[in-house]
Amino acid sequence: MLLQVDNLKTYLRVGKNRVKAVDGISFNIDKGEIFCLVGESGSGKSITALSVIQLIPKEICSHPDGRIIFRGGNLDENGTREALDMLTLDEEKKRQVCGARIAMIFQEPMTSLNPVFTVGDQIIEVLQIHRPDMSDAEARKRAIAALEQVQIPEPEVRVDEFPHRLSGGQRQRVMIAIAMACEPDLLIADEPTTALDVTVQAEILRLMKALQERNGMSILFITHDFGVVAKMADRVAVMRKGKIVEEGALQQVLHQPEHDYTRQLLAALPENLKRQRDLQLVENPSLAKLTEVASAQPPLIDVQQLEVYFPVKKGLFRRTVDHVKAVDGVDLEIPRGQLLALVGESGCGKTTLGRAILRLVDSTAGTISFNQQAITRLPRKAMIPFRRNMQIIFQDPMSSLNPRMTIVSTLIEPMAVHGIGESKEERIEIARKILQRVQLDGDHLWRYPHEFSGGQRQRIGLARALVLDPAFIVCDEVTSALDVSVQAEVLQLLMELRAEKGLTLLFITHDISVVEYISDEMAVMHGGKIVERGPTADICRNPQQQYTQNLLSAVPRLIL
Amino acid sequence: MSHKAEAVVTESSLADERQSERAANRSYAAQVLREAFTQWGARFGLFWIAILAVVAVFAPFLANSHPLLLSEGSVISSPMLRYLTVGDVVMLAVFVTVVVLMFIRIRFYKKVIMLLVTGTLTTIIAFIVVSPPQLTVYDQYRVKQAAGAYDWVIHAPIPYSPKDYIRDAGDTGLEAPLASTERTHWFGTEENGSDVLSRMIHASRIALGIGFVATGIALLIGIIMGGLMGFFSGIVDMIGMRLMEIFEAVPTLFLLLTFVAFFDRSLYVMMVIIGITSWPGYARFVRAEFLRLRQQEFVQAATACGLPLRSILFRHMLPNGIAPILVAASFGVASAILAEATLSFLGLGLVDDPSWGQMLNQAVQSSTFNWWMALFPGGAIFLTVFAYNLMGESLRDAIDPNLKKSAG
Repeated sequence: MLLQVDNLKTYLRVGKNRVKAVDGISFNIDKGEIFCLVGESGSGKSITALSVIQLIPKEICSHPDGRIIFRGGNLDENGTREALDMLTLDEEKKRQVCGARIAMIFQEPMTSLNPVFTVGDQIIEVLQIHRPDMSDAEARKRAIAALEQVQIPEPEVRVDEFPHRLSGGQRQRVMIAIAMACEPDLLIADEPTTALDVTVQAEILRLMKALQERNGMSILFITHDFGVVAKMADRVAVMRKGKIVEEGALQQVLHQPEHDYTRQLLAALPENLKRQRDLQLVENPSLAKLTEVASAQPPLIDVQQLEVYFPVKKGLFRRTVDHVKAVDGVDLEIPRGQLLALVGESGCGKTTLGRAILRLVDSTAGTISFNQQAITRLPRKAMIPFRRNMQIIFQDPMSSLNPRMTIVSTLIEPMAVHGIGESKEERIEIARKILQRVQLDGDHLWRYPHEFSGGQRQRIGLARALVLDPAFIVCDEVTSALDVSVQAEVLQLLMELRAEKGLTLLFITHDISVVEYISDEMAVMHGGKIVERGPTADICRNPQQQYTQNLLSAVPRLIL
Repeated sequence: MSHKAEAVVTESSLADERQSERAANRSYAAQVLREAFTQWGARFGLFWIAILAVVAVFAPFLANSHPLLLSEGSVISSPMLRYLTVGDVVMLAVFVTVVVLMFIRIRFYKKVIMLLVTGTLTTIIAFIVVSPPQLTVYDQYRVKQAAGAYDWVIHAPIPYSPKDYIRDAGDTGLEAPLASTERTHWFGTEENGSDVLSRMIHASRIALGIGFVATGIALLIGIIMGGLMGFFSGIVDMIGMRLMEIFEAVPTLFLLLTFVAFFDRSLYVMMVIIGITSWPGYARFVRAEFLRLRQQEFVQAATACGLPLRSILFRHMLPNGIAPILVAASFGVASAILAEATLSFLGLGLVDDPSWGQMLNQAVQSSTFNWWMALFPGGAIFLTVFAYNLMGESLRDAIDPNLKKSAG
């Protein structure tokens, strides 16, 4: 056994309150094993990882109970490693262990490298701290080897480059190289691929697995994504509210979950939601009619040759030297009543396209028409009647509501502008009804946004779009920031509302499994262009374009 | 690391729901103010400014040669009230309105409107009704009292007006605090023989007034210009920035000196000049905030709902970007006070009315060093500027989320 966590308790002080972030958990990690901690946000999985490597400031955390035994100290006479209790270790000893024997990689590759040092310096620093006798030339050679190990092209050149020259995936590779430089026994990976695109994620996961097999190290892998778990883990523990509710071998936890919470989590995965719905459809085919599209009518949204370029200005006179082609000649027709999913990786222009359709971003060329009326160049005032029919829901539940306004003022202000409801009282009554429709309490009207959870805010965002009774809604990554169980609820609510009000939706997302669950038709976007479009089932089963094939094969899937 | 923060947030709210509920009932502004004024520095600052405000408003009641009440041949009269000026009356009315509004629970903008309405109304009424006698003879009360013409007299706590040179006592001139046995001058007298404390009390009006009005003008221009620049960016931003650079290139103090040399020495001109030369600082703050907020999703949502521009700018964006501007404003008030004091110290301030800077000037002009002429007005300037800076700093700390996190 390499790591033995025994009844660990980590309490955090928040002001005068004490939060039981980790509340008595025990688990073991064997040598050469990948152990996954899975849980929703706030379950204490990251705090567990930080406790193991002792990264939480002493002022705000206390460990009233528990032991973390790490068998990775100095070699004794018998050739076995000394066992260290991380909780009682003195600072000097801890410094020797962290980085050398236990290493950690973080979620956000953009901020975890220091921008003022070259990539090489950052690897060499770690090496020389833990091996003071290593010469500069030797360290440099080791750094290049480490970069080569994580499959960075041209490591001799890259070693002298600054982090801003590297992409997100390459930075995460460098982070892994730094972590691996001293060949640790235990690697702690805290959501290492959450911030990455799915194709990059697949490469990083493959790399981590290969390195783990070659070096025989153990990995404590923290994630919220069951697809990643299925790909990586030997053993899994499911955490909830600071406790481990279920622990076991991968196949056992995924296929014969014993705890109710694990079952709920698995049932809330979009893959499972789809399966359930398909089963229902087989039993009761009349349900399918709800989602049929009137294709005979002219399309509600018609976008032709749309281009959105952002100028790149340089030099003394701010001359435009180049353009960033966010949207580069897109044709898109959305028939009335259709739910079109727009899929793509970050930076492909899908969000810009969504906003350009709503005229939130000015387009450079092309035409947009809503209900056969051209709105591409309408002035601000003339757009107002169209605004009522075209709404948007955003990704970030934190910033999508005005923090200084009560929910009621957020909801009734647009109604007043568009003349919905006769009086203030009537508008409040409409707002209350809509709030209840999105499964929130009517009394929530009088609260401020910060009093709500992420899922509740997303429902309020939905309510804000619905008060105007629009025909078309752009859903911009609406579930990306949500936990999987909340995501399932929001998706189901969206489907119900769509069927009820006959909404046309443009559902922008990067998550293929959500697309498979929710949409009839999908469009794949890459480099500002739409590369493939068609019925979701067809594209997922049989993608025609090379890019789509790569994208789909990179998705970590849960085989159920 | 974000998960750590999340865990803390979600579970702390579970841990003490009651407290968060109570906190939830307060608006963001109330929370910030509460947080800022739990610090001792800010409390001291607020305390000092509050004292100054009360002293400034009630100056005629505190330091006045005209008795508050007197009975002459069993006819009771109040010369003090008779001699109240239009400015005194308006100040009193506005002060009373502010105190009353503080205890009424209505929306903030309604309070502002009510305050403006009472201010204008009382000004108009006061101009029609109030007409203090043109000629003021301060000695008459002392002469008559000495002759025993009054049954009884109630004097103000400091029975000297700021411009009462006490001619009846002969050529008194400079006197150290409590040096004379006949009259009590707590802070001594200046070279013309008038009471220093009385002059300081009346001068506090100028100090507070110039700070608030000059900063108010600067804020008004700064918020509108900065808001438009930040929201529209592009060509509007370009022109606005060049305009700001022009105004920033104008040295306030030298402009003031030039104006004073060529035109009347008017307090209002000073306020306006300080105001219109200091707005670019605020405009920069507002512009930066608006540039950030423009990308925020709730602003995009407001645009997508087709809300009018006025509402987007002032209802959705401004309240979210106002906090750093308030901090800058509290420093701005302090620097406006200093500008006026500097000008008066150079002998270019108001001619007749007392001001703290002008009193400092008197301290260095006489042949001997008169410590009471330097210490008391200098101390008052220092404390006032210090108080505003203290409040500014604690406001800045209260709105800084990074500091909050490390404290938690």
